[in-house]
Parts: sequence; structure tokens; C-alpha cells
Amino acid sequence: MDTKRNVKGSQPREGKATQMEGADLESVIARAQGHDAEALGEIYRLYVRRVFGLCRYMLDSRESAEDATSEVFLKLQRSIESYDGSIPFARWLLRVAGNQCIDALRRRKRGRQEIVEVEEGVAVIEAASSDPSPLGAVLSTEERAQVRDAVARLPETYRVPLVLRYYGELSYDEIAQQLGLQRNYVAALIFRGKQELRRKLGHRSK
Amino acid sequence: MECYSEQIVSIFVDGELAVEEARRLRDHLATCRHCGQLLDALRVENRVLSESLQELSEERASPTGFPRLPWSLAWRDVAVVAAVLALASSVAAWINKLSIPEALQWLNPFSLSGGTNLIFNLSYYLAHGGTAMLRDYAAVVGERFLLLLLAGSGLLLGRRWWLRQPGLRLLIVLLALSLPGFALERRHSELVTVAANETVDDTLLASGKIVRVEGVVNGDLLAFGGSLEVRGTVKGDLVSFAKRTVVSGTVEGNIYNFSHSLDLDGQLGHSIYALVQSLRVNDRGHVGGGMVVAAGDVSLEGEVNRSATMFAGNADVSGSIGRELSMTGDSLALTNTSRIGGSLSARVHELKNVHIADGATIVGTRDIQVRVRRSHFARPRFYFYKAIWLAAAMLVGWLGLVLFPGFFRASTHAVGSGWRSLGLGVGVLAGVPVAIVVTAITLVGIPASLMLLAVYLAAIYLAKIWVGAFLGQLLLKPTGATKSDWLLGLLVGLLILTIVEFIPYLGGLVRLGVVCLGLGAFAWQLYRDFTISNNDLKKAS
Repeated sequence: MDTKRNVKGSQPREGKATQMEGADLESVIARAQGHDAEALGEIYRLYVRRVFGLCRYMLDSRESAEDATSEVFLKLQRSIESYDGSIPFARWLLRVAGNQCIDALRRRKRGRQEIVEVEEGVAVIEAASSDPSPLGAVLSTEERAQVRDAVARLPETYRVPLVLRYYGELSYDEIAQQLGLQRNYVAALIFRGKQELRRKLGHRSK
Repeated sequence: MECYSEQIVSIFVDGELAVEEARRLRDHLATCRHCGQLLDALRVENRVLSESLQELSEERASPTGFPRLPWSLAWRDVAVVAAVLALASSVAAWINKLSIPEALQWLNPFSLSGGTNLIFNLSYYLAHGGTAMLRDYAAVVGERFLLLLLAGSGLLLGRRWWLRQPGLRLLIVLLALSLPGFALERRHSELVTVAANETVDDTLLASGKIVRVEGVVNGDLLAFGGSLEVRGTVKGDLVSFAKRTVVSGTVEGNIYNFSHSLDLDGQLGHSIYALVQSLRVNDRGHVGGGMVVAAGDVSLEGEVNRSATMFAGNADVSGSIGRELSMTGDSLALTNTSRIGGSLSARVHELKNVHIADGATIVGTRDIQVRVRRSHFARPRFYFYKAIWLAAAMLVGWLGLVLFPGFFRASTHAVGSGWRSLGLGVGVLAGVPVAIVVTAITLVGIPASLMLLAVYLAAIYLAKIWVGAFLGQLLLKPTGATKSDWLLGLLVGLLILTIVEFIPYLGGLVRLGVVCLGLGAFAWQLYRDFTISNNDLKKAS
């Protein structure tokens, strides 16, 4: 999955990841599980930008994102042993990183009120909104930067699930588990987040 | 049929709709153009969102990130090895039913006598040949060490995730160091004697209430106990932890001495390195090398071939010193019979405490400096040092934050738990020295106890940083949680603490409280880190 998207992406994000074959990656992971510092370093080089990106989107400052990123890789020395290959490694790692960020957010907010504050009655949401999706066009580089910017300005409530879904590629269930929320509620948050994003980008373009 | 809501279609696009509902929606899509368009638009939206997010901004993770890994690996290894050694030595202590002999009580930093500063002297001692002694110890404990290491390694292997390769290497190195220890004879009883007609060919490790050597020890002699008398000959070094050490025979090597008193009546081939309450070289005593001594009282009646360095409360010299005499302490007396082949340099508090008899011979120069105890505040140097101290603390704080961001922040936070930190801190402050002494005394644990000592001292130093940072945050209430916020808080907190500590009486209490709070927070955070890591493991699996 990861390799495919790397090829598809407009810019190579992790130069080496595109070249690394599945078997190579497997052997690197296996060595890392045996506490080979070199293999851990290889994994770091391959994934640091992905992980940092997730943390950067989820946390509000570059510094906290750096902190969270280094925490993820520090803990990786241990936690990598629990990786069993049942899901792609990148996705597993991003799940771990998501956990780390959520922990960081909770520590700072002393709880997760921010994420739960939105009232629970979101099961019913009006049918297709009249305004068409402003994200529907093929976007230029600059416009993509605007999208990222808008995501960064979303309230944490929406930003966190949105980033976990569309950057971390976690399933609703995984997000729900990480945030300690109902699956339906996560679905509603993601949907609303996208609406909010449209609104922000709509305002901007006008 | 009624159209589906945008949310349902959106969930469908995410591939998260329940199988049955997804099938119905698909059926509907086949007939409904409106929903089909919505589906396409949402798909495009998802793709755009994913691609925009994936295309990382120019920001990069800090390139210095990776070197943190080996660091932490090394630290964990040290921790693991220290833990194993501490465990092993306490087991050894239990097996041998060793209790702390009275002779070693004075090593306890809480019962320091004679104004000797244990830490300072210890570091000085280590710098002047003490490391060689440590190697000897490592050799001496070989046999028992080997067994314990094998057992420890077995345990580590059993819990594979604890085993780190560098850790294994360290163990192997320790193991290798301890191998020479097989050439070792051990004697343990109330009264250990090497009779006059007896020769011990190996290194002798003797422990007992009284250790008496009348014969010959061809190797080194390591002695523990109440009283050690060497009337015969020790061809190697003498390492003594006995409460009272008397050498009236011959020691051909060096004397390393940690005890209450050391009396040298006989011949010593090389030098004395001693941390004692009282040291006496009698008129028949002869030291072939020099002496480096930290002691309450030094009395030198005999002869020292080379130079003598003393940190002493009182030093009386009536014998001869071949080269320089340098003395730092309270009082110095040189009698008529004394002879110094080199220069004399003394650092004392009051000039009237230096008595140099007219008949005393000093070949070189005399340099006597009086260190007046003026008020700190009157000296510009004091402010300079304080500023340096503050800068160093800020640097350490910054380094800590860069290297162990989570841990430093969390420790700062843990200070806030008040009584828990304070209580825990008191326990740690009082308990660790006991643990260090108990560990050291079992022989096996000397490297471990040194490591523990290092961690203990580092934690005492760091305590102020955590408490300072916490105090600063309490006062500044920063909105963000950036490094600069933390460091600014640290600066403010440290300034406040520094000023408060100048208040008489209260300042001392505050200092103690700060150390306890910080130590407690540290201990708590260490504990939590271990439990959290374990939980993470469970969560991830």
C-alpha cells in the first residue's frame, strides 16, 4: 500500500522507501526487532518524515511535533517487538504515532474534553449540502498548501480524526479506539471536519 | 427511492459503511444520478485531501533526531547492568549475611566526621590511582561475579526484550576484567592470621574482626574488618577497609586505605593513598613514594621520600619529606626536627594556625596563603560563579530537554504533586546512600555502587532544575508548551530559588526541600516511564 502511494505521489517523499522492496523492509524490521541500532536508524530515515508530518498536523507547534516524533522513535526500540506484520508497517507506525500525539494532547489539555466537547447528537445530519465541494478540482501546489493550512487551522476536535484518517490512513475503528470515542461519532467528526474545511477554503477563495 | 445523506455517502467513500448498507447504496447509485455525482465529488475530495496532506510541507524533522537512539540505548544498558549488579550484590550480601561493619559506617555521607568531604576526596582519590584499585576489585570478585553474571545473563535472555547488545558487551567486559580474580585466596573468620612461617602466593582477600599478617603475602592484600595488622610482608598492594590499620612490617606496593585510622610503623615501598580520620607515620615508618591523604589528623614523624599532599584538619610534621609538602586545611605545625626537601605550600584559614619551628628545614620556598572567610556577597567572584552556575544549569536543562524531552517535561510536571514528590524524595535521599554503602560493601557491587552514586549525584543536581522549571511555570503560566517557555520558566525559577537560598536558616531548609522534591519527581517519573512503556507495549500489540 505504502509503496504504491509513494510511486503515485507527485514528489518522492522518502527517497529510499520507493526503492526499498518489501522483502528488504521486512528484514530491516526483523533486525530492528532484534535491537539492531542500525536497522532502527534505517527505519528512522525511512519514516521520520511521515511520522513527523502526522505529529505536525496533530499537534499545534513544530516543537511539540518534534518531541512527539522523537518519542515515537525512542519507544520504537521496544514497541517494534509487538509488530506482527498483520498490517503494513507504515500504517502500524502511524497508529503508534497517533497514539503518541493523542497522549501528548491529553497531557496538555488534562483530559480529552477538547475532543468530546462537541455534543453527541450528530447522528442526524442534513442531506447533501447545497454548496458543492470546493476540493473537487485538481489542485495546484499552492492550493494544496492552502488545504494543509486550512487543516492546520481546524479545531483540534476535527483536525485529529481527519488527519488520522486521511494522512495516517487509519480506519474509523482504529481512530475510535485511539480517541476513546464511539465509531459513529468518529464518522460524524470526520464528516463535519470536511464540511468545516470546505467552509474555510470557500471563504478563502472568495 | 429517497436519496442517501451526504454523510452516509461520505462514509461509503471512506469504505467504512456496513456491508449490507453498502450493498443497498450501490444498488441505489446505479439508478440515481444525483447520488452518483455526489459520490464522485466526495471521492475527488478525499483524494485531494489525502494528496495535499501527504505532500509534506517544507518542514523537516530535526536532523539531530536520530543520535538520540544510541544515547538512550546506552543509558538503558547502564541502567540494566546497574540493576543486575545491584540485585546480584544484595543477593551476595544476603548469602554472606554481611552486615555493614562499624568500620565502614563513616563512609555514610550522613555521618561525616572530621570535616572531610567524602565526594571531593573520593574523586581526588580516584584520580590518583584509585582506578587501579577498582580494577583489582574487579579481579578479586571474579569467581562470585562470574556465577552471578551467568545467572543474570540467563535472566536477561529469558526476557529477551530487555537484552541489548551493548549491554551484553558491557557484561562481557566486566566479566573479562574479573577473570584474573581466580588467582585469589579468600579467608573469612573472626580472626584471620597469616602465620609467621606461612606464605600466601596469591592475592589474599581477608575479612574478619582481626586480620593479622605475620608471614608473607606474595600478591595483594585486601582486608575488611575491625583491625588489620601487617607485621610480616605484603609484596603487592595493600587495600584496607579495616577500621584500624597498622603496618609495622613491610608493604612493597602501595597502600590504599579507607579506614578510621592508619598507622605506619614499618616500610612502605611506594605511596599512600588514604581517606582516613587519622593518619600516623611513626618515626620508624618509611614511605618509599609519596602520599596523598585526606584526613582529620595527620602526624608525620617518619620519612616520606617524595612529596606529600594533605587535606587535613590538623597536620603535624616532625619527620622528613623528600620533596614538596602541600597542605590544605585548618592548622599546620612543623617542628624543629622536620625537614622538607622541596617547597612548602599551605592553604589555611588563619595564619596563627601555622607553626613553623625555627629549626625546621625547608629547602624550597614557603608559600602560605590565608583563605579568609569573607561574606560571599562582598566578593565579585561570588556573583561570577553564581552566574556561571546558573548558565550551566540552564545549559543542562536545555540539553536535557533536547535529549529527553518527554522525561524532562514529565519530571517537571511530577514536581507538582507536592507531598508525594517530597515524601518519595526524602526516602530516596536517605535510602540511596545506604544502598550505595550496602552495595559497595559486598565487593561485588563496587562498580554498581559507583554507578548508583553517579546517578544519585546527578539526580541531586537535576532536582533543582526540575523544581526551578516547575516554579517558573507556576508563576508564568505559559500558554504554549514550547522549549523556550520551559527554559524561560527554568530561568525564572532558578533565579528565585537562588535568591531564597541566601536567607539564613530558611535557605537551607528550602534547599533541602528542593532536593527532596526534585528527587521524588525523578524517582516517580522513572517508575512511571517503566510502567507506561509496558502499557504502550500492551496497547500496541
